[in-house]
Formats: sequence, C-alpha cells, structure tokens
Amino acid sequence: MTNSHLYLLKNFNYMHKFIPAFFIALLMTVFLTGTPCAAVKKAHAIVRTDTSKIDVKQFDAKAINNYHKDKDFNYSGEAVGQPTFWERFWNWLWGKIMQLFGKVPFAGPFLKYLLLGLAITLLIYVIFKSLGIDAMQLLRGDAKKLDLPYSESLENIHEMNFDAEIEKAISRHDFRLAVRLLYLKCLKQLSDKELIRWQIDKTNAAYIYELTDPVQKQTFGLLTRQFEFIWYGDFPIDKDTFSKINALFQNFKNHLQ
Amino acid sequence: MEDEIFEQRTDLSKLSTAVEQIKATLAKIIIGQHDSIDLLIAGILADGHILIEGVPGVAKTLTAKLIAKSIDAKYSRIQFTPDLMPSDILGTSVFNPKTADFEFKHGPIFGNIILIDEINRAPAKTQSALFEVMEERQLTIDGQTYKMEEPFTVLATQNPVEHEGTYRLPEAQLDRFIFKIEIKYPSLDEEIAILSQQHNQKTNDQLKHIEPVLSAQDVVALRQLVLGLHVEEKILIYAAKIIHESRNSKSLYLGGSPRASLAIINAAKALAAIKGRDFVTPDDITYVAAPVLRHRIMLTPDKEMEGVTPDDVVAQIIQKIEVPR
Repeated sequence: MTNSHLYLLKNFNYMHKFIPAFFIALLMTVFLTGTPCAAVKKAHAIVRTDTSKIDVKQFDAKAINNYHKDKDFNYSGEAVGQPTFWERFWNWLWGKIMQLFGKVPFAGPFLKYLLLGLAITLLIYVIFKSLGIDAMQLLRGDAKKLDLPYSESLENIHEMNFDAEIEKAISRHDFRLAVRLLYLKCLKQLSDKELIRWQIDKTNAAYIYELTDPVQKQTFGLLTRQFEFIWYGDFPIDKDTFSKINALFQNFKNHLQ
Repeated sequence: MEDEIFEQRTDLSKLSTAVEQIKATLAKIIIGQHDSIDLLIAGILADGHILIEGVPGVAKTLTAKLIAKSIDAKYSRIQFTPDLMPSDILGTSVFNPKTADFEFKHGPIFGNIILIDEINRAPAKTQSALFEVMEERQLTIDGQTYKMEEPFTVLATQNPVEHEGTYRLPEAQLDRFIFKIEIKYPSLDEEIAILSQQHNQKTNDQLKHIEPVLSAQDVVALRQLVLGLHVEEKILIYAAKIIHESRNSKSLYLGGSPRASLAIINAAKALAAIKGRDFVTPDDITYVAAPVLRHRIMLTPDKEMEGVTPDDVVAQIIQKIEVPR
C-alpha cells in the first residue's frame, strides 16, 4: 500500500462530506454549458424577407356615405314615433322626482342607490317569502321561536262593564253566566294589579301558577274550582249557591284591595 | 270547601283508590317519572295503546311491566327483532294429523296487556301485522276473524329512531297509539335515590312482590266510567281547534288526524277522572295535547333542520288557540 493510499484512507471520513457537493456541481456544469451550445447552433439560421407586392384595400366612400345618411343609424337625433302612455307616465314621474330632488346636492346618485337598494330588498323579500323563510327570524338567530298570531280575540276583559253585565245576568236568573262574569272580573283585577299577565291562551291553572302569594294562590284556586264546576262541569246553580260563590269572590276582591 | 257547595255526581272513589294504589306500587320501584306514570294510567283508562320512548336504561320496560303486573289480566311479552314475522305475533294455522285439519295456534298477541319491547326493531312488514288488532281489537287470519278479549292494551317501548338498528314506525301505526310518552333521564337527586334503593335492596327480583290492584273486569268497568264523563261543547271545540290548527301549521308536513281529536278527548276524560273530576277542563286538554300529538305530527324538513321539536310546535299551536272561558 502506497503513501497516497494511506493518506486517502486516513482522510476518508473528512472527504465523504464533499461527495454530494461534487455531484451537484457536476450537474450544474452540464446544464449551464449545454444551453450556450444550442444558441450557437441557432445563430446560423437563414433570415428570409417577404418581397411580395401588397395591395392595400380601401373602404367604399359611397357606401359609408349611404350609412351616414341612413336615419336608422342616427343615434343623436329625435326618437322616431310618439311615446306610449306608459313612457309618458314614467317621463312625467321622473320629471316630478327630479323637480323635488333636483336642488339637493348628490340627489341623482342618492336616488339611484336608494332605488337599487329597494329593488334588491324587494327581490330578497320575494325569494324568502316564496321559500317560506322568515328573514327576521334568521337575523335574530332565534330559530326555535315560531311567530304565530292569535287566530281570534276573546272579549276584551279590560273593556267590559262587568258590574252591569253581572246585574243583568242575575236579573235574568242566569247564575251560570253571572259566575263566569265574576271570574273574568277577578282575572281583570289580578291583571290590573299586575299579579298575572292576561293572555287568551293561558288556562286557569296557568294563572294560579303565576300567583306568588300562597294565600292568593289558595283562594284563587278555590274560586277557579267553583268556576270550573259551573262553567265546564255544567253543575246546576241556584240563587243560594250563587250567593255563596258571590261571597267568595267579594272576599277575594276585598283581599286584593 | 268546594264539597260544601258542589257534590260529586259521579262516584270516582274506586278509580281514585286504584290509581293511588298503582302509583304507590310503582313508587316502590320507579323513582320519579310522575308525569309518565299519570299518562300511563290515563292511557289505560282511556282504552288506548301506549308507546313509551326513551334511550336505553331509563326503565321503559320496567315501568310497562309494573303497570301490566298491577292489573290481574293475561299478560304477554313480545320482544321485537329484525327477523320477527307477522305469524310470530298473530299466530299461525298448523296441520293436526289426528283431525286431518288445520288448527289455528294463537300467537302472543292474544292477551289483555301486551308488552311489545323495542317495537321499532322490527321492519314495516311485521309492524303492519298490528294494524287491525290495535284499531279494531280483532284479527282476521285465513278468512277467520278472532275478537280480542277486553281489556286489550298494547304497551310498546322503543328507542329513539336515531339509534342503530331501528326502523321508524309507519304513520298508520303511530296514529293507533293514544300517547307517546317520552321518558327522560332522571335528575341528580333521582339518580342518587335509584342507586340508594338498589344498594339497600336484598333481592334482584323487583317484581316478585308486586300484587295486582285491578282485575281485567275492573279495568273494563273503569273505562266505561271514564267514557261517560261530562265534556262541554266548548271543550270539544277547543280540542278540535287544536287539531285543526295542526293541519294548517306551516311548521308541519302532517297534522293530527280525527283519531287524534278523539284521543285528546278520551285522554282528557281519563286525566280528569284521575284528578277526581267528572268533567273535562281546558287544562286537561292542554296537558294531554303534546303526548297525543307528538308522534302523529310530522315536521317540515326546514323546521326539523332548525332543531324544532314536535312538542315546540304543539305548544305554539296551543298558544294560538283561545281558551274557552
């Protein structure tokens, strides 16, 4: 083994780090030197000149003149024919609008964008309506609520003259109706004192539940039961029974005051 | 105080006693679920079939079994599976070599209280077998009609349809159930009580000591009593308006059927009787409206996607209707 072999073996660990770099440098040399070689070859190409005679075409001046004279191509002149009633209406309407807003600065662009906005809103409304989607509900983000209007309205207890109606019912010996009116009057009193919130869909039990005072709850519960026996149970009621029930209602009224 | 003014026209004492006894019996084993138990009893008194829905492990089957055990009547249990055939439920004609003739072998449906466990595990073909018997209380097989014995009540349990291996019941069958009772998870206190009860219990057989409270004849008699309770015309109109509104609701693809109207009134009568009244009030109607309607109505796809439940829609419908007063 010669000295040079020994030197290479000793330095092998150091040299192997340069092997990848060597190959990269070799590849770059091949690519970079290849391109100029190709360019040199292209420089020998022969350039040929087109020497054929060119015949320049001219527009027909007579034909152009005819087009100029044709009124169908005259866009700057007066409109041909009379405006229809619909066109006259819109001309009149726009004239009026511009009279109103003509003095306002930027009225033109403002009106333009306003009308554009309204048209887009109308279009969105029509699309949502046709799909049966409540746009306001989507905006609120409260999808669970279904906005249903009441189908009908009950007698407005806040507008009824209960005392007169009760007197009439008693005079006719219609004690069933009289108890009903007493109960409705009682609900009105509770509503006036803001102890309950009157709503036509609420049942009697809902009103009892709404009361917070235990005594009121118990007494109103008792009155409700009497009303239900008579109004829903069709229990017969005579003058004596009515007097007892009326006394219960009067006591509750006094308790509320 | 009210007893001093009005005396009861109808003797509801036997019914009240029976209801209290059933509740007391169930309360020994079932913790909570008071509303569900009230509805179960009301459903039986209203001569209806009851569908009990809940996730696995909320004592649906146990509750149904307890109710069935509290009535001394012929009890059958059918476990619905995907491979169950109609003849497995109804029965089938078998050839008898001795008589050289076919004899009808009665299926488990021939009973008084039928517990169908996991009813939505069986496909539509098997479900269809129940149509006639549930509505008409009779079966027609091979041209022969068999009348069911009274009382005839189907108590069915099901997992929510979103669960694996279940089929949605056909609408026609769902309509035959008076109630769909949803059994929810117990509250924390109830859960603790369940664990405590289980821990202190010495036996695993909870049903061993359950004694029947009512006989089959008693149930029939109480049903007759409930049927005769007073309902004012204004209450009938109120119930009809609720059902009618369900048909016009924009949130619903399918509203309540006339059978649903009848179910509301019958269920409200039963509930009134349980509460000790012989007449129906609007409160009874509103209380039973959701369990009567929730399985009968179908939401529109957009409402379903919004997460609206049938109970939400029923509540909104009730809000729309004026209470007769």
